[in-house]
Amino acid sequence: MKKNKIDITSGLTRRDCLKQGSSAFALASLRALAPFVFAGCSELIPRSAAKTVKVGILHSQTGPTSMSEIPLRDIELMAIEDINAAGGVLGAQIESVVEDGGSRATTVFPKRAKKLLSESKVAVVFGCLTSASRKSVLPVFEESNGLLFYPASYEGNESSRNVIYTGSTPNQQILPAIDWLLSEAGGSRKRILLVGSDDVHKRTENLIVKKYLQDKSVVVVGETYIPPGEKDTRIAEAIRKTTPDAILSTLTGDSNLSFYNEWAAADVTAEQVPVVSTNVGEDELRRMRSNKVNGHFSARSYFQILKTDANKKFIDRFQQEHGYDRITDESIEAAYSSVYLWKAAVEKAGSFDVDKVREALCSDIKVDGPGGELRIDPKTLHAYKRFRLGRVNKNRQFEIVYQSADSIAPDPYPQSVFPGWSCDWTKGGVTKGAEVKIEN
Amino acid sequence: MFDFNQIYRIYDIPSWKLALAISGGFVLFYWVGCLFIRPFLRLFVRSRSGTNDLVGYVLSCFCVFYGLLLGLIAVAAYQNFGEVDKNVSKEAVALRALYQDVSGYPHPVDQDLCWLLRDYTLYVIKYAWPLQKKGIIPDGGRVRVTAFHERLLAFEPETKGQEILHAETLRQFNIFFEARRMRLHSVTTGIPAVMWYVVLIGALINISIVWMFDMRFLTHLLLGGMLVFFLGAMIFLIAAMDNPLRGEVSVSSEAFELVYKNMMEESNLELED
Repeated sequence: MKKNKIDITSGLTRRDCLKQGSSAFALASLRALAPFVFAGCSELIPRSAAKTVKVGILHSQTGPTSMSEIPLRDIELMAIEDINAAGGVLGAQIESVVEDGGSRATTVFPKRAKKLLSESKVAVVFGCLTSASRKSVLPVFEESNGLLFYPASYEGNESSRNVIYTGSTPNQQILPAIDWLLSEAGGSRKRILLVGSDDVHKRTENLIVKKYLQDKSVVVVGETYIPPGEKDTRIAEAIRKTTPDAILSTLTGDSNLSFYNEWAAADVTAEQVPVVSTNVGEDELRRMRSNKVNGHFSARSYFQILKTDANKKFIDRFQQEHGYDRITDESIEAAYSSVYLWKAAVEKAGSFDVDKVREALCSDIKVDGPGGELRIDPKTLHAYKRFRLGRVNKNRQFEIVYQSADSIAPDPYPQSVFPGWSCDWTKGGVTKGAEVKIEN
Repeated sequence: MFDFNQIYRIYDIPSWKLALAISGGFVLFYWVGCLFIRPFLRLFVRSRSGTNDLVGYVLSCFCVFYGLLLGLIAVAAYQNFGEVDKNVSKEAVALRALYQDVSGYPHPVDQDLCWLLRDYTLYVIKYAWPLQKKGIIPDGGRVRVTAFHERLLAFEPETKGQEILHAETLRQFNIFFEARRMRLHSVTTGIPAVMWYVVLIGALINISIVWMFDMRFLTHLLLGGMLVFFLGAMIFLIAAMDNPLRGEVSVSSEAFELVYKNMMEESNLELED
């Protein structure tokens, strides 16, 4: 009795509580805490559990060529970000793995390429700018059956089933420029001086030009090669000696600055001796004085000035992200379109597998890039490109004075220069001809 | 073997949920112990008269020491948080000053340098900060800073004015670089694991002593529950303030966002000029 009394006056005992409350308490607390516990746990699920696909970006972010390659990295990251925002590729978010080539083509680039393919296991790599870096990473991609999208214009004389070349080859850039110079609109030029940076790329391009001009009534009055980075181009002297009526320049980088300064000192006008350059884009133009470049030409597949909706959207997006004084150029446009081309190929293939993606790329898929339609030639794995010729006006901007009626098919092995060489990946690949020695 | 790094996953949980989970977890643990452990511990207390008073003295004494420990750790965590916040602001301010300096360089070097700094700032906001929140030291800033430094060093002043500006820019760059290194160092800064063990074992001892206390059951649930809830709240506070660049209660990238906004506005103005 005493015990009962104590129990009543002291209220709930431990034993009562244990009996009556334990079930209710356990259920209630579980119910109460479940949203917190489980909601919290859901955020503990690692991101890697969500479907992602890795893609590599391999450009020089440091070193001498970094100023030209950093915008490529930026634009590729931007394209990836936009694709992710729109839902990704095949339901997977793209995870970019960025590596720095350090402007060391033969040493760092191959190592980084290997790292991307072997360690990071990327599905594709968007990378390189210089021919030297592309050539250095090529064996790595071929060995691992990787896929590289290369966005720069180059000299040709190469085709690999592991590289998708989205820049122009000489027959899409230099040769149409030569044709224009020889036409009435271009002043029917007869005496051409070739000026270039002293590397295999430029010498190959000039060899292609010389062979191309052999059948035409045009004289190559001279060839001048300037070591990369050299500022004294001695061009005024060459103009006086050879008296050309047009100059074809394949100079790169800062050599262009001195070149145009010295040209101006030669006491000729742009109407008398126009310069057609293959490596002066919007970026180079902003470094030059208007009176030194006014009236000269640039042969490209893309100019920022292009008035299309796709280009306007592209430029707006790029400048909103990176600054309103940032400019785009040919390689930047090709790098951007390359990412979308890969996406389209992956979606068509329904897989990230390199062989299936390559097959899809060769099945006439197209993307509408800022510079126009981009599609790949299944025989050469090079892009069809439109040729455009821009003239520099007084405001240091380009005016497009000529463009090809349609996209030009790529030809990495012009027969006049590489007899017997051909490329058809639908029938086995590259057929080798006689060895062509290019002096350097 | 328990991987202590797994504990950092608590920073992926929103703060209010984490606070409820820790404090609620402590209370739940205490209440369950009241039901299942307390009866056994009470046997020890009831076996001799006056033991409950002894438990009371021990509890008071322990609470003082443990409270002091928690208090000191909380203050240290708060100071650490403030320090990191200060460093982040210092880096952002140095970055803005550097941007101002390089804007004075001759064209087109000024444009190149400004682009590179904007690129760095954007990287910090967009890529580095989310990585830091996961406790990963971001690497992409290094190449961006190197690219900027290379371009800066390639500049050769031609006038006395340019020489002075260049010297000042290099000095400013060093300030920025130092602050950047300190921020990166802060990514993994936190209370050592061994200290967390002491805190958690201390909490367990504290709760055990409360269980020993001979009180009526409901009083136990209420008073003990309140004490333990506060204990959990203190531990949450320390956990949230610890690792100042991780989790929801962390130093934000707002300072960099403001700098980036200013840089973009300037780039727009230059274009209009």
